[in-house]
Amino acid sequence: MAQHNPWPDEGNTGHIWDEDLRELDNPPPLWWMLAFYAGFVMIVFYALYYPTIPWTNSHYEGMSGWTQVEEYKEDYQVLKDWRDQKFAQEEEQLAALPLKEIIENDELRTYAVKTSKVLFGDYCAACHGAGGQGNPNFPVLADDDWLWGGKVNQIYTAIEKGRIGNMPARGMMGNLNDQEVEQVADYVIALSNGNGDDPSVSAGKAVYQKGMCLACHGPQGKPLAPNGATNLTDQIWRFSGERDEVIKTIKYGVMVKKDGELIENTRQAVMPAFAERLPDADVNMKRLAVYVHSLGGGQ
Amino acid sequence: MSENQKPKNFQERLEQNIFGLFMATALAVSIAGIVEIVPLFYLKEAVDYTEQTDKYGNVKNEKFPELVWEREFTMQDGQLVSDKKLYEQDKNGNWVVADWKAGDGVRPYTPLELAGRDIYLREGCYICHSQMIRPFRDERERYGHFSLATESMYDHPMQWGSKRTGPDLARVGGKYSDEWHVLHLMRPQDMVPESVMPAYPWLAENPINESFFGTKRDMAKRLTVMRTLGVPYTDEEIANADAAIEGYTEMDAIVAYMQVLGTMVKLDDSKSYRE
Amino acid sequence: MDTTVKPQYNDGVVKYLAVGAITFLVLGTLMGTFAAAQLAWPALNFDIAEITFARLRVMHTNTVIFAFGGMTLMATAFYTVQRTNGVKLWSNGMAWVTAILFTIGLLLVVVTISLGMTTGKEYHEQEWPLAIAIALVWTLYTLNFVMTIASRNKETHPNVYVSNWFFLGMMIAITYLYVVNGLAIPVSLFRSYSLFGGVQDAMIQWWWGHNAVGFFLTAGFLGIMYYFVPKQAQRPIYSYRLSVIHFWALMFGYVWLGAHHLQYTALPDWTGSLGAVISLAMIIPSWGGALNGMLTLSGAWDRLRTDYILRFLIISLAFYAMATFEGPVMAAKTVNALSHYTDWTVGHVHSGALGWVAMVSIGALYHMVMKLWNTEMYSMKLINFHFWLATIGTVFYIVAMWVSGIMQGLMWRAYDEYGTLAYTFAESVAAMHPYYVMRTVGGLLFFSGAVVMLYNVIMTIRTANARQEAGVAANA
Ligand code: HEC
Ligand code: HEC
Ligand code: HEC
Ligand code: HEM
Ligand code: HEM
Ligand SMILES: [Ca+2]
Ligand SMILES: [Ca+2]
Ligand SMILES: [Cu+2]
Repeated sequence: MAQHNPWPDEGNTGHIWDEDLRELDNPPPLWWMLAFYAGFVMIVFYALYYPTIPWTNSHYEGMSGWTQVEEYKEDYQVLKDWRDQKFAQEEEQLAALPLKEIIENDELRTYAVKTSKVLFGDYCAACHGAGGQGNPNFPVLADDDWLWGGKVNQIYTAIEKGRIGNMPARGMMGNLNDQEVEQVADYVIALSNGNGDDPSVSAGKAVYQKGMCLACHGPQGKPLAPNGATNLTDQIWRFSGERDEVIKTIKYGVMVKKDGELIENTRQAVMPAFAERLPDADVNMKRLAVYVHSLGGGQ
Repeated sequence: MSENQKPKNFQERLEQNIFGLFMATALAVSIAGIVEIVPLFYLKEAVDYTEQTDKYGNVKNEKFPELVWEREFTMQDGQLVSDKKLYEQDKNGNWVVADWKAGDGVRPYTPLELAGRDIYLREGCYICHSQMIRPFRDERERYGHFSLATESMYDHPMQWGSKRTGPDLARVGGKYSDEWHVLHLMRPQDMVPESVMPAYPWLAENPINESFFGTKRDMAKRLTVMRTLGVPYTDEEIANADAAIEGYTEMDAIVAYMQVLGTMVKLDDSKSYRE
Repeated sequence: MDTTVKPQYNDGVVKYLAVGAITFLVLGTLMGTFAAAQLAWPALNFDIAEITFARLRVMHTNTVIFAFGGMTLMATAFYTVQRTNGVKLWSNGMAWVTAILFTIGLLLVVVTISLGMTTGKEYHEQEWPLAIAIALVWTLYTLNFVMTIASRNKETHPNVYVSNWFFLGMMIAITYLYVVNGLAIPVSLFRSYSLFGGVQDAMIQWWWGHNAVGFFLTAGFLGIMYYFVPKQAQRPIYSYRLSVIHFWALMFGYVWLGAHHLQYTALPDWTGSLGAVISLAMIIPSWGGALNGMLTLSGAWDRLRTDYILRFLIISLAFYAMATFEGPVMAAKTVNALSHYTDWTVGHVHSGALGWVAMVSIGALYHMVMKLWNTEMYSMKLINFHFWLATIGTVFYIVAMWVSGIMQGLMWRAYDEYGTLAYTFAESVAAMHPYYVMRTVGGLLFFSGAVVMLYNVIMTIRTANARQEAGVAANA
């Protein structure tokens, strides 16, 4: 087929395949050839300017001295400088002043709250919900009911060191039987509805004594001082107010361990410590404490 | 062959000789790999100056000692032993991490963590989650210090990822509680309403010592293979590997893996690990 | 014109592969659309392990790239190598073995991925028994191809046509990279651990990963382009010299690019820079290919109005030019800093995958179906309809991903007036919802087009077969 060329005048290369496949002998467009060579020139310049070539024990560093970490540091410095220029005073005060003074200073408090939104969203909201409105099994932070206290430095401690809830199963000595557990559960539910003195739950009330619940929850169902135990006299439930769930809490306790492992069904209540985790933890923990304090229930 | 078919130049010679074209093409496609990949195996700077010190894969780093967990390996009675233990059985019979604590440097995974990593791969978490924090100021604030090559040196294969449909997980260890991870994996939307992550309820039901079609997940074998690949385990650690995952679920394993991510090294912001 | 008897070719296996490719296109785009819908509405995961998003997505990539793409490459390579060398296949039997084993292999890949069997290496998820089988089948394919060319009559066919160069380059590079990246030690029949770890593994993985794109999805499909565009347009290739430069630039250049997937990671700076600069330099050679195709068509522009198959080919070249511009731009470090990890990458992928790979394949497949069954298509109108479904679907998809990708990238790095981050990660997830819906709609359109194609092709084959039977009966 290549012998006779049925298209002698179109400027093809003379090769013909599959009856009519052929190629023209056109040169590539000039602009394209120029751009193509420009590509090589660019490679050369780029390769000289940036780190590119590996040696046997190091690499060619490039005339620019560019490294990605250097770029990062500069970038970060720009942000820092900008922040320093605009908010140096606030940032310094945040770092220096005790928390109590920060929350009393309207401007500073507002600043701390405004700069905490995303920090809280990325590090805390997964457990405590966006805005601290809580999640099943994780406490609400936007109310005035506190396990460990709603003072700003108590909140700070929670963030810094974390918190681990703890309640024995079946009462302080673990000596309550199933029936007693049910009775005290009914009593606790009644307490939360303000009916603690109702005669129908008097058996439970006795169990409450027997199980020494008062040691933590207080004689009236309200801890005398914040100790991680819940207030049983309000409608706010740390876990759940369903009867079965309350029974479960009392029967299996919170973070109850046997042989070093959590027993089945026990409630888990671990708040991680953030002192080592948060970037710039020293100021950011303070910021967050002020933020949480301001969510509605700070004392 | 007629006169006008004589090759005019090298290109045409190749066009007329398919095996020549084959060889020339094979050569053309080989060069890049030699330049870009081979140096990564010998350049110390490419792995933050972490050096292998023995044939078992043990490492040290003189420049940045905090990056790696150093221990001494010796042969005793045909057994490979070490001065420090990776994991051991505590008095209650639970297998716990022994002579290493968070921040002591990169170490091999415990059998449970390694099994969890297998599940991570199986479920394709890497499709949505990266494990590679870039040196950017926003990533520092969201995820922490940028990732170093040393941190994934024992990862076969690496899980740096290429897409962040979900957040980076390189330093997720310790950010949440075990309970949270379980609840999240059971139904992510319960914890984060806007999440698009699928639920993985079956993880809680499947025992980790079973693999595909009920076959045994042979952790001793897996650790042995890892050692062949340069991840240092002692013979005792390999021998106990199956016992160390006994009784756990896939959920326990994947949570153990999640919780170790990023906790191995404590990086100092004021230091320059890469220049 | 030519009065000699047309040579007889081994077309049975090509027919099989062509129909298989179209079937896998339907399946693969169905999976893609389903995966897209899961990101829009996570409840669609149905808590079924085998079809949760991540597994389904890997099934999708394996189905579209390796099953659909691979079968298209096999069909077209076997089709064109015979015609451009004027000989039958070196071994028709071996071609059938290749085709059947490849089908079974890919079906097994998809099923095992759904069951959770994976290496965890992106674009190389096939576990070792299947990976070995695939590598062997691929070698058979290569061998048959090379030997067919070698067996040509050098008097009538002294020079090997350009489409064959690209197919050959694709076969060599894919075998080499696939095997190296796949090196692993098995721990069981279902699982192996990669020989490489950490930073070396990352580079090797993307050296392969990029070239699954550069060779499998590009060089191979350029082989298709170089045959089917001039054939369908009935025009000569615009420039032989351009073909030569295009070919060697791609063979030498593409292999360097893998590092652009690892910008700003723990990969050394110098490797990333090499990846970036050679990526940038690849715009022009790539455009050379697109240009060669488009200039081949020039002079046949008027036929676009009536020739719907030509439309697929021309739009595929436009998307090829676009994707090979966008890709290098994304390889530049500053752009990659924004685009990496976001939907922008996914948008880029699909402007290449839908716009270029799928469109050029569809054009070639229609062309082949008519030649193989020696008939007109059952319905030309349906081809036009398919064209619009595919084009609008693709545009929906990539526009949605551009917007969501750039938005994602900007939200992640945005600072507010206090110099603190402006958005939580969860807010960025929520902001993606409308675009995920839009992508699903685009996917649905594209998928519907594939269904229309399958229907049209089946009807064409049935009519052709019926006519042939009638003809046989009449002759008897
Ligand atoms: C893994 C889930 C989790 C994360 C993440 C988390 N917390 Fe907590 N947090 C808890 C749990 C569980 C408790 C309750 C501990 C208990 O029951 O004693 C708690 C308790 C608290 C308390 C004490 C509440 C009280 O009533 O006394 C404060 C304050 C608090 N968290 C703030 C934060 C802040 C701020 C962050 C983010 C930096 C955060 N938490 C992140 C789980 C979490
Ligand atoms: C050693 C201290 C301690 C004792 C004793 C104790 N509790 Fe608790 N209890 C706690 C703590 C701490 C919590 C909160 C756990 C948490 O949030 O982490 C709690 C929580 C509860 C809750 C869950 C409330 C909710 O909002 O969901 C109930 C109900 C309860 N206790 C009842 C009892 C009863 C009944 C007894 C006695 C039988 C008892 N507790 C004994 C410490 C104790
Ligand atoms: C469809 C994509 C997708 C898949 C697949 C996926 N995730 Fe996620 N993941 C997300 C998204 C989106 C978020 C952010 C919202 C949230 O916390 O649920 C997330 C968040 C997380 C987080 C919390 C990270 C943080 O710092 O807040 C963890 C841990 C996690 N995923 C683990 C996993 C594991 C383990 C798997 C596999 C078994 C997995 N993910 C699979 C999308 C996904
Ligand atoms: C010269 C041409 C091209 C260059 C330089 C290029 C460059 C890039 C870059 C920089 C990325 C993003 C990497 C990241 O940030 O993670 C990318 C991703 C991708 N590109 Fe291209 N591209 C080119 C052409 C194409 C074509 C034609 C296709 C056709 C299908 C394609 C398919 C892909 C795919 C599938 C990915 C996703 C990889 C992943 O999973 O992360 N590219 N490309
Ligand atoms: C109806 C058409 C299609 C739809 C709806 C679709 C949808 C999707 C979706 C939802 C993803 C996951 C993206 C993510 O993780 O966010 C994806 C990934 C991918 N698809 Fe498709 N797809 C389609 C067709 C194709 C075709 C025809 C090809 C190849 C020829 C292809 C190649 C890929 C690749 C390579 C990826 C991985 C991208 C990456 O890792 O960055 N898709 N597709
Ligand atoms: Ca509260
Ligand atoms: Ca990807
Ligand atoms: Cu690439």
